[in-house]
Amino acid sequence: MSTTPYRLITCLFIILLYSSAAIGGTLWLSDQSPHASHGGAHAHGGPVKVRRGVFYKNLWLRHGDQPQNDNYITGGTHFSPMQLLNAKGQLSELKVERDKMHGMLNVDFPMPDEGFYNVYINHQWLDKGRRLFLIAKAEVLKHSCREGHDHVKENMPVKHNPKVPLEIVRERLPKENFHTLIGHGDTVTFTVMSKGKPQPGAEVTLTTDRGWSKKEITDEKGQVSYAMIRDYYPKWHEFNKRNTQPYVVSAEYLAPISGFLDGEHYRDTLYRSSYSGNFYPSPRDYESYAFGLSFGVFAIVFSGLAIYLYRRRRNRPYREVRFHE
Amino acid sequence: MSKLRRAVNNVNLRSFRFWLQIAFFILFVYGGYFAITLGNNLPTFSCGFNQEGRPGVCFLLPMQHLLAADWSRLFGFMGIGVLVAFLTFALWFIFLNKAWCGYACPLGTIQDWITSLRTKLGVRYSSYSEEQFKKLKVVKYVLLALTVLIPLGIGGALLPHSMGTPFCEICPGRMILPLFSGDTSQLTIDFSTKSSMILTGLGMLITGLFFVGAFVKKRFFCFFCPMSALLYLFSKPALLNLKKDGDKCTRCGDCYRVCDMEIKEIADDVEQTNIMQDDCIMCMKCVAACPEEGALKATFIGLPIFESTEEGFIKRMNQHQEPNNDAS
Repeated sequence: MSTTPYRLITCLFIILLYSSAAIGGTLWLSDQSPHASHGGAHAHGGPVKVRRGVFYKNLWLRHGDQPQNDNYITGGTHFSPMQLLNAKGQLSELKVERDKMHGMLNVDFPMPDEGFYNVYINHQWLDKGRRLFLIAKAEVLKHSCREGHDHVKENMPVKHNPKVPLEIVRERLPKENFHTLIGHGDTVTFTVMSKGKPQPGAEVTLTTDRGWSKKEITDEKGQVSYAMIRDYYPKWHEFNKRNTQPYVVSAEYLAPISGFLDGEHYRDTLYRSSYSGNFYPSPRDYESYAFGLSFGVFAIVFSGLAIYLYRRRRNRPYREVRFHE
Repeated sequence: MSKLRRAVNNVNLRSFRFWLQIAFFILFVYGGYFAITLGNNLPTFSCGFNQEGRPGVCFLLPMQHLLAADWSRLFGFMGIGVLVAFLTFALWFIFLNKAWCGYACPLGTIQDWITSLRTKLGVRYSSYSEEQFKKLKVVKYVLLALTVLIPLGIGGALLPHSMGTPFCEICPGRMILPLFSGDTSQLTIDFSTKSSMILTGLGMLITGLFFVGAFVKKRFFCFFCPMSALLYLFSKPALLNLKKDGDKCTRCGDCYRVCDMEIKEIADDVEQTNIMQDDCIMCMKCVAACPEEGALKATFIGLPIFESTEEGFIKRMNQHQEPNNDAS
């Protein structure tokens, strides 16, 4: 028997299996390509593609509870168009596309201006009379040093979309600029907003790449703060200070909103929103003031002493040496 | 017009330079706080690592960044970007020539302040022998070559990417200038890779040497500065120039004695009209110290703007007597 029909049937079975897969856990957007080589360039803000001088960002839809192992979402699930809030604060729609190689859902959008771009996607369905409303958000920075740094301060304030029912906003770090990387030990504050207003009492979970997670409840300002943990322990010769570790923050809020979806009634709505970003090893892990200052002080003392002794030797008055024969 | 020219030629250059250097220092170290933006291609040490205060960036930093790009991009469309950056740098440079070093460079100004401190403390200065001078003046060209070749090697995947901006890693400006805006983060050794560790370690050693060197030797670091070498390579078409009329020179040597960079040709060479040498920082101290009418002059687009006069020389001599610090 030829193996070709057997392979065809297997492929069809896999496609059907993926098509019917439900979205479990958190829906989030990742900038890590599922393919080993994505041929992208790197800029401040992660990997990008450059076409005719314009930066393009590729984001992939994933779901699960542990970023490192979370599945990429393949075809079959129908999403409403993505929304893009660009660096100038203008809202537009993006089409979700399937990747030609494996049919994985992704979005590819241009970033012509310097600044932060917010991407939103949502997906909803009914589960035993409850509406589940998933919202995934990614905040992407576009910065190239070639564009200069005159515009940094004006582009730093956070932007949010007041139409999104539950949105997580990452507050800026003190003195944050386009070159700032969130590192281990940094305290990061997130504000949960419901249609543009802070949402107290929402349950927020931060999950790191390797699965460490912590739950917090938002305060009256709708905020929670997390100290980013150290979750990277390579050998010294394998250490990479630019090692990218994704994290996903998810927020849940049960709202007493009832209604109909596709003709079916639901009694309440569970909003589950996500915000994904990356964090990096802290400079405190690989930079040393003690060694730096020791080297500097050593150079000052050693060279200063050498010059002093050299000059002293040259200025020493003549002293007669007598030999007793 | 002749009154104005007389006033300029009689100017107290020391005082004029002191205040102009302070103004430039504030501009290039704190200009960012006043929302001044001068771009990324400045021909002076407006250090890119002084993130809060800088009004622009020293050209050496973006130059190394650009040259470290992948060769397929560098020798493609991106090459146009490199050329544009270089032309912008040249446009800045063409006005002041190497006076960028003598008047505008914040690291040069710090060295002049350290020299003033030494003078006040009554410590004598050091100078190089002619043989040392000839050997050491090559160092800045070697550093300039490495500043270009190492990033090119990174772009061609011949060298590790962690070597990044090799000259900036060892430049004392990276450690010293951010300190003026309260940023101490550059006073560290980066242990993330071997090359970062070596370069940042070397940087801290050079910073220590910078302070001691500048204390005993006027403009110690300028002698090794690749920016000085780069500026000299393109100084011919510059608008500001230093000219000498050999027929009027008596070879008294006053110009050589006041020269911070110990350029002997300024006194000895009576043949060349364009007397500027590669180590010259165009501080114009030689013009101010020359007692011969019109023997030395600074010209802008060929027009004399400051020239040596007997009257100016006597006036300046009366204004301040140089402390007598014998060279060792």
